[in-house]
Amino acid sequence: MPHSLGVTFPGFQAIILCGPGVSLNTFTANPEDFPKALVPIANRPMVWYPLDWCYRMGITNIHLVTPPASAFAITTALAQNPHLTSLTLPKPDVLSPDDLSQNTPTAEIFRHPEVQAVITGDFIVLPCDLVCELPGEALVEAWMIHQGGLGGASHDSDDYKGSNMGLGGENGGRRGGLGVWFETKGEDSTKGTETDFVITTSLPQPAAAPSEGSLRSHISKVLYSTTTDTLRDIMEEKKGFLIRHGLIRKHGRIRMLTTHRDAHIYLFPYWVLQMIKQNEYFDSISEDVVGWWAKAGWQDGLAEKLQLGKIFDPTSTSERNGGENGSHGSNNVEDDIDIASMSSTYTSALCSSTKSDPAKIKPTKSPAPSIPPMLSYIHPTGPSTPLIRRVDNSHLLLQTSLYLATLPPTTDPPADSTPSPFSHKEKISSTLIAEKTNIHAPTTLIAPNTTIATHAVIKSSVIGANCVIEAGVRLTGCLIMDGVTIGEKSVLQGCIIGRRAVVSRECNLRECEVQEGFKIEEGREAKGEKFMVFEGLEEVGVDDEDGGVDGEDGMADHEA
Amino acid sequence: MMPPANVEGGSLLPQDPDSPKDLLQNGAKEQVVPAPCDNTMASEGNVKGTNGTQQKAKPAKGSNDGKLSGKELKDKAKAEKAARRAQQKGGQPGQQGQPVVDLGPEMQKHSDLKGPSVTGATSAQKFQHKRTGSASGGFQKPIPFRPAQAHAAPFPEEPKRENKNVALFDHLYGNPRRTTLAGASKDVHPAVLALGLQMRNYVICGSSARCVATMLAFKRVIEAYVTPPQNSLPRHLTTHLSSQIEYLVSCRPLSISMGNAIRWLKVKISEVDVSTEESAAKTDLCNAIDNFITEKITVADQVIEKEGSIRYEMATKFKVIVVDSRPLFEGKNLARALADLGIEVQYSLTHGISHVIKDATKVFLGAHAMMSNGRLYSRVGTALVAMTAREADVPVIVCCESIKYTERVALDSFVHNEVAPPEELLIQGETSSPLLKWLDVPNLQLLNLMYDLTPAEYITMVIDESGYLPPSSVPFMQRLSVNS
Repeated sequence: MPHSLGVTFPGFQAIILCGPGVSLNTFTANPEDFPKALVPIANRPMVWYPLDWCYRMGITNIHLVTPPASAFAITTALAQNPHLTSLTLPKPDVLSPDDLSQNTPTAEIFRHPEVQAVITGDFIVLPCDLVCELPGEALVEAWMIHQGGLGGASHDSDDYKGSNMGLGGENGGRRGGLGVWFETKGEDSTKGTETDFVITTSLPQPAAAPSEGSLRSHISKVLYSTTTDTLRDIMEEKKGFLIRHGLIRKHGRIRMLTTHRDAHIYLFPYWVLQMIKQNEYFDSISEDVVGWWAKAGWQDGLAEKLQLGKIFDPTSTSERNGGENGSHGSNNVEDDIDIASMSSTYTSALCSSTKSDPAKIKPTKSPAPSIPPMLSYIHPTGPSTPLIRRVDNSHLLLQTSLYLATLPPTTDPPADSTPSPFSHKEKISSTLIAEKTNIHAPTTLIAPNTTIATHAVIKSSVIGANCVIEAGVRLTGCLIMDGVTIGEKSVLQGCIIGRRAVVSRECNLRECEVQEGFKIEEGREAKGEKFMVFEGLEEVGVDDEDGGVDGEDGMADHEA
Repeated sequence: MMPPANVEGGSLLPQDPDSPKDLLQNGAKEQVVPAPCDNTMASEGNVKGTNGTQQKAKPAKGSNDGKLSGKELKDKAKAEKAARRAQQKGGQPGQQGQPVVDLGPEMQKHSDLKGPSVTGATSAQKFQHKRTGSASGGFQKPIPFRPAQAHAAPFPEEPKRENKNVALFDHLYGNPRRTTLAGASKDVHPAVLALGLQMRNYVICGSSARCVATMLAFKRVIEAYVTPPQNSLPRHLTTHLSSQIEYLVSCRPLSISMGNAIRWLKVKISEVDVSTEESAAKTDLCNAIDNFITEKITVADQVIEKEGSIRYEMATKFKVIVVDSRPLFEGKNLARALADLGIEVQYSLTHGISHVIKDATKVFLGAHAMMSNGRLYSRVGTALVAMTAREADVPVIVCCESIKYTERVALDSFVHNEVAPPEELLIQGETSSPLLKWLDVPNLQLLNLMYDLTPAEYITMVIDESGYLPPSSVPFMQRLSVNS
């Protein structure tokens, strides 16, 4: 689905991190050949979703950062996969620094010189497993209103790297970041989903009520952010979660969220890159970068520790500016202007122009820059809210795929529905379907070139391209990847079948995962198993699977 | 308006406007013209309405039945008309009740198709006969009636589409303000995109701040600008800027100061020599913008501050009374800033002005613009403050940079003003406000004007960067600042 490029350029560039897929190990066991980014979600490679999200909001400067091992596969896919090739130009660039391994922490990636060189302005960090119906524009709008530099202090251009901290923007404590958190609990929740712990406080009321449809009412300031696992460790270690007085002193009303998940969508101004560079011990973006930054806003002395002073210090930046855009010379004029103070909706920091009575005037602490806040968009839950999901385990993979399969197609959509951006052109594009099959079209997605023999019953399932479904097969709530063969009279329910796997005849599988290329012998009956080559058939993550079973059952009922 | 509870009366009402004419027709041509089927309801209603009067006028009528002279006919018609009018006008329950009571059985008869009415006079009988004929031709007769009711039913829903614009200010509404980036032109620079949204949401508010922010954003635009091939910078950059300005206007109308600054910038661009190298031209323009901001705003502010300030270091003890208004409460920020400096501050809303003015010795006003007839165009409520101050013989001093002078002339706040979205008047976060559902309340309109005009006679003095002036000197200073 090529989207028209009639969208405005929002002044961001996107970095998509294509990591390993530890929780999807049944399907990503071989990252050289089939990295996580290419695992299909509703027949599209995973990375298509963040890419499409970027293109829809007008970002065309996109870099996929991946370990060299997976680089070839991703590059090939970008050139060959029909979904990826149908995206608008220009193509995203694949960046695979040599010493990047599958387990390099996210913040370290951003310290890598190759990545640093690529980022020239404000940037958005995305994971490759993001499925986000919420338009990115809305986030950028919220960011621009709350944190965009005043008077053009933000964004990138060739001359201006958005790093001039002396500008009104940073003087007014602006140009912070924005992250997205979404609720994991709810009717369609799955067990075993990772969650994050975040403490937020509400922002001061804006001068005028935000317009309808704006995300601003859900924007708050992050004060603390970590994963729930870390929180649990802290709780065990210290027998409780201790809150610093500094936090309470500064922010009387706080909100703690433990069931929300960090969507890993970060809108960062350029200076964050420098902060990551300065602080070698930052490991992950979500925990360390965001966490420390959020804390620096209220914890005394932390800002200096993070060397934020160095980043914001006007003197050092003006030197740099002198070097970088000397052609434009007098940037100093701008340094004197504090638009925030001029604006009538801000409380300006007045200082007496005459220093005749120093006793009366508070001594102004010159080197203490105000820390731009890290904001959070807490995605509200509700029946009609857009989907935000990180597909990083197999349950979510199945669930999200099946959800996407229920979306109406873009060609001839049913009258009462509006196609979502993730809608496929046609839901059942295979023409090789025999007669007397029973396919529940509204909940099923079938890719081209798939053969379906007679008497097959298919309900709420996603079937990839080039599959062979033989006679009498019953599929309910299944995700079948490309090139799978399913033998006669097999009954599959809630299964995920990897690429080119073969399920022989008369198998009866429930909630199973089958690794790619695996062959299941005739008449096999199994429930909640993972069929993998390496781990052996009997080694089953029982704990995980039991948890998942409930979820799947609920799902199946829901779909039916 | 008739209360809708009275169904019969209510159903009669919509047809009333036509009734005098019908009445005349029926009265004059009584038996000659049967009412067409569609109209039956209307004429029927009239007849019934008149029935009462007819019966009262019976003695006169009964004698020369059928052979009414022209004059009598006329008189009768007149009487009927008068009675009808009295009914309509009076609206008293007694008067109104009668036709309704009459209507009841009559209606039943018609719907039951029981044939001619017995109670009616002979003429009326004939009449009725004819009408039953038409009624029998109209088994469907209740059908035109029902749509009439059905039409009445959705009436309360209509206010949803009701024009919520205040008619007097209709010319000011224009297109609704942009709230999203969607649909913005591709050429719009990200800095301008952000600026537009910030102005829309009052993050950047105030004439000077908006002017400076715009010029800085345009500096970014110029820095990033590359002349397309076969175009010259002076020609193309102007159109490129125009698309940025168009976007800004769609977010919030330009301020006078922005307009002045943009006009200046366009002149500057057009003055660029075509033969100048592009990078040099861009640098020149950027420097010019810097100088412009410094000269017109930064330094001007400092000068005005010096001229106008009751020096802080002076031992004079003074208090500042900040008079503020809804919905933006910009005065709160001023009050807080002054309080942070250690100045004694009193805060009041506009309605307290007549009270607090007693303590005031000077009134300082900010300006959005100064008109060429010396009038001050500023945040709504300013005029009230100035007027009260004048009343109390307190000097009114306007502090205004000359960039805010305009050659425009305004006589009132109606012709030129800015209407902000009325939703902004709702108190934020309040869930039980009666105004919350104002869109559904029929005939309720909210008006959120941004500015008003203070007549020159209320202004004692204007302070700009060149000194103290009477408001009448504004046009001169305006010309001076344009020419310089």
